[in-house]
Amino acid sequence: MITWIRRNLFRSITDSILTVVSASILGYVIFQVFQFVFITGRWEIIQVNLKILLVGRFPEELMYLVGFSILATCFSIASLASGMNRPIDKPPTLAGKLWELFQRFGLIIATSAFLIVLAGDLDAVLFGAYVVLSIFAGRLFGRARRTTPLKRLPGWLWVAINVTLPLVLIFLTMGQAALEEWGGFLINFYLAVVSIALSFPLGVMLALGRRSTLPLVRWLSTAYIELLRGAPLFVLLLLAGVALEFFIPASIAPDAIFRAVTVFTLFTAAYLAEVIRGGLQSIPKGQAEAGKALGLSTFKITFLITLPQALRNVIPAQIGQFISLFKDTTLAGVALSVLDLLNVGTAITKQDDYLGQGLIYESLAFVGLLFWVGSYVMSRESQRIEKKLGVGIR
Amino acid sequence: MNNEVFKDASKMSGGRESDDAIIVIDGVYKRFKDFEALKNINMQVGRKEVVVVIGPSGSGKSTLIRCINRLESHDAGNILVDGTALTTDIRNIQEIRRETGMVFQNFNLFPHLTVLTNVAIGPRRVRGLSKSAAEELAMELLTRVKIPEQADKFPAQLSGGQQQRVALARALAMTPKVMLFDEPTSALDPEMINEVLDAMKELAQEGMTMIVVTHEMGFAREVADRVVFMDKGEIVEVGTPSEIFDSPKEERTKKFLSQIL
Repeated sequence: MITWIRRNLFRSITDSILTVVSASILGYVIFQVFQFVFITGRWEIIQVNLKILLVGRFPEELMYLVGFSILATCFSIASLASGMNRPIDKPPTLAGKLWELFQRFGLIIATSAFLIVLAGDLDAVLFGAYVVLSIFAGRLFGRARRTTPLKRLPGWLWVAINVTLPLVLIFLTMGQAALEEWGGFLINFYLAVVSIALSFPLGVMLALGRRSTLPLVRWLSTAYIELLRGAPLFVLLLLAGVALEFFIPASIAPDAIFRAVTVFTLFTAAYLAEVIRGGLQSIPKGQAEAGKALGLSTFKITFLITLPQALRNVIPAQIGQFISLFKDTTLAGVALSVLDLLNVGTAITKQDDYLGQGLIYESLAFVGLLFWVGSYVMSRESQRIEKKLGVGIR
Repeated sequence: MNNEVFKDASKMSGGRESDDAIIVIDGVYKRFKDFEALKNINMQVGRKEVVVVIGPSGSGKSTLIRCINRLESHDAGNILVDGTALTTDIRNIQEIRRETGMVFQNFNLFPHLTVLTNVAIGPRRVRGLSKSAAEELAMELLTRVKIPEQADKFPAQLSGGQQQRVALARALAMTPKVMLFDEPTSALDPEMINEVLDAMKELAQEGMTMIVVTHEMGFAREVADRVVFMDKGEIVEVGTPSEIFDSPKEERTKKFLSQIL
């Protein structure tokens, strides 16, 4: 231990100075954060406004729909994750297994526990239990697909079931509660989920279109991609907010959330298309040739051979796009006056009880925490999927 | 004019009648930008015949067999495979590709699919067999190339020789009438070459029509009915293995053989 410290931190005079300086800075930052979180921070503003931060003014009697959507999403993700064909080698020791579980779920559990404590009522605890149950159910369903007669289910159908289930519930929820009543983190979450689900197929089509042998398709795809990538997202959102009124009478114009979803989908699809095109270019020519030599049609070569490999090769970049989409949903709050988490977060500091008390730090810290947890979980799971699909094995 | 070329071709193919030929190549030219890859190629391959194509690199051997299943398109001349002419018509191309199997230098197995699926994909997705029937057929072929125990692995987990045998099984799964081999052992470590050559010999003994581009002269001597020597995009000399290897007539053939033997 002491030799390690000596060798790595105090090897030379410069090293020692660097170590001391950076250790002091680090110590100072940690001290400040600790003080803020546990001593000076006035977290009752979060506690009091927890519901409005998470779901806005969503009608109480329809909350069960939101609950079901979240449970369905958990179920599907768990099912997809454990139903993939290739299981990862599990670490052999119990400690190793616990460490892996901690890495994967520690942050989610900690955050959930934190939220439940903040909420401090029985319903929250019950809901937490339901989430755990639905994750387990999802894992069972996923495992069944590998071991029971469900094996006969074609892969695409199984994926389709898992993707459709939460989406249907989400759309159902959207249909039930007027969108003006949505708010808080719920908006960011669903903006992201719906835009991801819609932009992915569009991105795939654009990537294929840009490589098409038909000139018109190729030109249109290229023009679309270059146009959308050239415009700042914020400008597009503002445009969607104002410009539509020029063309469509305000009375039948779609509401803000619909516009936001449209802009996010179109914008992300353009970026995604380039990422996927990169993936397609990384597939050796011999793959398509082998498919041709077997007599497979161009369509089948694309969807059975080149595209699956291409998508697998660019998982990190795709997830990167999705993570930035998730965080960019806060822009919709500013540009389209949607009551998203950030907007709610700043608004609550102007309530009569808290006005002028500088509680914006507490509020922003909470907003940042939720986004960070979401992004981090996505990033970790993407690494798992990568491993599972054996990226790098050729 | 065309007829003359035709007669010429049958002379070159050792006097075989053209009606028992499964592949007829007639006056074929191919150029890549300003490089002439094939210059007036005339050749016929009979049913159950094994033709080995040899020649220095860049001589157009690979281009020639890649033209037969339209991985390259020829610029002039005609190619007939089992009576179907290769034109730009995609239906003809697909029909010919279904009847010809190809084994590549770099295997070109599909890395995201298991060995079994690699072999079953042709029968299932082109011939329309059910999943179980296709997999049963695939298993049979894997047994034939002696690696049934590798069925559930992925290509990257196999040795080069095993991968090439899977590629052979994959091509055979389409029950082709002709097999094309594009330097099938060139990417293999020396100790793995024989397992692939043995599988090919077996196939030849079973009466498969084969065109093999290779540098394995021992294989050519043992298995070939005819050896074709190509140089600079032309067929220089055609003959039985003993004619070519023991008493080559052309200067270029002699020079090439002296360099490699």
